[in-house]
Amino acid sequence: MRSDFLLRLISKPEPSTAPASRERPSQTAPDSWGGLMVAAQNGHGGAYRRLLGEMSEWLTRYFQRRLPPGDVDDAVQETLLAVHRRRHTYDPRYPLGPWLAAIAKNKWVDQLRSLARRPTDELPEEIAVPDHEAAVVSSSVLASLLDELRPAQAQAILLVKVQGYSIEDASGQIGLSPSAVKMNIHRGLARLTAIIEKTPDVE
Amino acid sequence: MSSESLIANLSSDLTPVQRRSMLREGGLVLALGAVELALFLGLGVMRPDMHHITGSPFLIWRVGSLGLLAVVACVLAIRSFSPTARPRRGLMLASALAVAAIIGGAFVTPEGVADHSLLERINPLSGIMCAMSIFVLSLPIVALLGALMRRAAPTQPRLSALASGIAAGACGAFVFAFCCPFNDPLYVVVWYSVGCAAVAAAARWSLPRRFRL
Repeated sequence: MRSDFLLRLISKPEPSTAPASRERPSQTAPDSWGGLMVAAQNGHGGAYRRLLGEMSEWLTRYFQRRLPPGDVDDAVQETLLAVHRRRHTYDPRYPLGPWLAAIAKNKWVDQLRSLARRPTDELPEEIAVPDHEAAVVSSSVLASLLDELRPAQAQAILLVKVQGYSIEDASGQIGLSPSAVKMNIHRGLARLTAIIEKTPDVE
Repeated sequence: MSSESLIANLSSDLTPVQRRSMLREGGLVLALGAVELALFLGLGVMRPDMHHITGSPFLIWRVGSLGLLAVVACVLAIRSFSPTARPRRGLMLASALAVAAIIGGAFVTPEGVADHSLLERINPLSGIMCAMSIFVLSLPIVALLGALMRRAAPTQPRLSALASGIAAGACGAFVFAFCCPFNDPLYVVVWYSVGCAAVAAAARWSLPRRFRL
């Protein structure tokens, strides 16, 4: 009886049950995710492999809309590791989607913090961009977030962190000293992190 | 390493895990609090006139409000260790409860106590000792809640740490209330609040540093 249940869980899902990418995780997560996690908590490797595979796809879409393309894989793997280390904290009475989304959001904030600490390099003239969808959605999210900042902070972040200008070039364009530009970037990123931490876990 | 190979590694030698249980964690905190109270009273430090004041409004207020605050704050702290928890509202509830308890103190002042001067009523020398005793008594509960927090997955560790500190402080104050010889609600409000606030601040500062999701 139990093995039948597990086999059903491990079998590939129907194509129609594939999660839509723009919905809440609690809605996109198939019902089987909770069951798969319970099986994983009981030590069933096959169920766990399938669960992590499906989570990985969902997390890739989640981070593609929130992070630069080069950081997506790192964020996905960090989140999978956190899921693995904390899998005992999942309570089967509740859906798995919000649990995963809360961990993913935490990792997103961590990645934003590491982005803020990373030294700024100028972007090369030509960058191959195979798919524009994630970039377009990211820029839309970024624009709405930057609206929450002071104009000087938003402009400094846009020039240095998004468009790749050096601190000196940006200070020339904005008309502020380099240290003021750095301060605006630092405070702006801190404010963005605080805004994101306060937002509910929605896609 | 690609995500596929990471998944293969993680799922290859999977071992069963014991699922986290809030009931079990609450039981652990309750058991530790009971042991601490028993050991503390076993040392013979319970105030000698306890049988005289048992049932007095002041004692009921002091022990009742601290016990209620300890239970609410412990439940809040343990619940906040879940990744999906939102501890902010619970902290507001605990704060409201503390304010209500403080206001309640105005109605249970024993006769004659209010005739003394403010300095005599607050009695800073004894008060500092009381606050330090509460701090020391709360340390085992802070340690236990910190261990539980470390094993769980709070996504707002600073708020969880603050809730743990308030819970531990309230537990320490509850235990200490059985030996504190002062019968003035003003004294209790001032110095017990100082003791609890010190524990909460220490937990808020130290616990998140030891935690990483």
